[in-house]
Amino acid sequence: MSRVGVVAWNTFREAVRDRVLYNLVFFALLMMAAAILVGQISIGIEQIVIVTLGLSAISVIGSLIAVFIGVGLVSKEMDKRTLYALLAKPVRRWEFLLGKFGGLLLTLAVNTAAMAAGLFAALAYVKHPLVRSDAVVLVAVYFVLLKLALVVALALLFSCYTTPLLAILFTAGLYVSGMFVTEMRGFHSEAMSPALQTFLRWLSYLLPNFENFDVMGRAAHGEAIPGSLVLANTAYAAVYCVILLTAAAAIFSKRNLK
Amino acid sequence: MLLLGFGGIWKLQHRIDGQRAALYQEKNDLVLRSGPMLKLMSLEYAPLVADLYWTRAVQYYGDKHRRGDADIQLLWPLLDIATTLDPKLIVAYRFGSTFLSESPPRGAGRADLAVELINRGIHANPEYWRFYEDLGFLYYFHFKDFAKASAAFLEGSNRPGAYIWMKVLAARVLEGGETRETSAFLWNEVYNSATNPDIKQNALTHLQLLRADSDCEQLTAIAAEYEKRAGKRAGSVRDLVNAGVLKSAPLDPVGFVYVFDGEGKAQLNPASPLSQQKPRYLKPL
Repeated sequence: MSRVGVVAWNTFREAVRDRVLYNLVFFALLMMAAAILVGQISIGIEQIVIVTLGLSAISVIGSLIAVFIGVGLVSKEMDKRTLYALLAKPVRRWEFLLGKFGGLLLTLAVNTAAMAAGLFAALAYVKHPLVRSDAVVLVAVYFVLLKLALVVALALLFSCYTTPLLAILFTAGLYVSGMFVTEMRGFHSEAMSPALQTFLRWLSYLLPNFENFDVMGRAAHGEAIPGSLVLANTAYAAVYCVILLTAAAAIFSKRNLK
Repeated sequence: MLLLGFGGIWKLQHRIDGQRAALYQEKNDLVLRSGPMLKLMSLEYAPLVADLYWTRAVQYYGDKHRRGDADIQLLWPLLDIATTLDPKLIVAYRFGSTFLSESPPRGAGRADLAVELINRGIHANPEYWRFYEDLGFLYYFHFKDFAKASAAFLEGSNRPGAYIWMKVLAARVLEGGETRETSAFLWNEVYNSATNPDIKQNALTHLQLLRADSDCEQLTAIAAEYEKRAGKRAGSVRDLVNAGVLKSAPLDPVGFVYVFDGEGKAQLNPASPLSQQKPRYLKPL
């Protein structure tokens, strides 16, 4: 196994040993159960609620894990002084970062898969049998995972040069900003100078666009998502993660760890 | 000790509940009424928030309906927000328009808002033919605008998956206006397509009243014929049976014998539940 793989696997094992993860999965399954009850007190939206509540739970819980564990990936190793022992071995700093990223992403993938299984179980409970169009929910889950990969990369970048608390704030701030990219791009005001408008427009392309991954409405109504969008979003997340991880590696490589 | 403690808590809570019920004042309000603003604030969770608002609309309507309260002012903002947050929430447009259009206390008596809601549904989901059926239904029953009703049915008939009878209905409404057969057909369609028990019951009551109306019309004609031949007015349906005009006393859809008023016109028995329902429903033909 490569050095990156070893770090990733150990990060995954450490996360699995962390009881917080189990609690969050349990919470997600509870949300699925709640979805069934919510469906009973409304009219005609049983399946829609299962999908929207399920996807929301997957997104919220995944984001919490991504942010809170993501910002601790480096700082925890430094606090426990295990980082020094690790870097004394033939492991480059960028390999360590990439391994940490991969490990948390693997954790999130397993977590998301478990929650998606719960979502489909709940969906099958209220709507049997499942039909082909329900596969769109899987695409929505995949998009949530892509979004989480971006969040982990952001958290990792900030954790390389600032405190965990600030890293959480910066990551959360960029996440929320990334949900308003369209508004930012289309915002026009007479009071605003053309230079500022141009700046906002450029900024809207620089910020991670989390709106790209928002297909919850389509998934809830069983509307197909084009394969080209799946490919484009995958490429977007991959390229953005590469940029963020490269920046993180550059910062971490120059950081004085003494 | 624990059991005793929880027993005490249980009793105390009951006492508090009783006192709070006496102090209870309805506090139904919406802090935020702007759908677009809520959509922004909901981030990617707008569809879930829409579901919550729709559920709140259902609970609000159900609660008011149960208490016979005709003041349903919050219904429109709730539906407005739910459909702004999720423009594809078909159920909110369809059921919402029913809640809005029915006359109080079964609804808000705002057929104009119901039309607006359905038009918004059509704008967001132009291929969904059932909206045109609902629109035609509203124009037919609430506005008696048969030209617009017919146009809506015809427009809907051109949408994918539309039933063939939409075209027939468009022609029939345009030619004949409001007829008992057309009304019965429309209510029958509502009855067959509804999944909600309240809406199904509403359609059934309308159908029963239409049938009773038809029965009364026929009975009145028979009684008039009897009066002409016998030279005296039938005091009750039993008189017609005794005279051999009828084989047996006809019953209304819920099993009550019809009665005659002072002018010899047949009508629902005052003891029949339908008789109490009639003034609260749209007046059948």
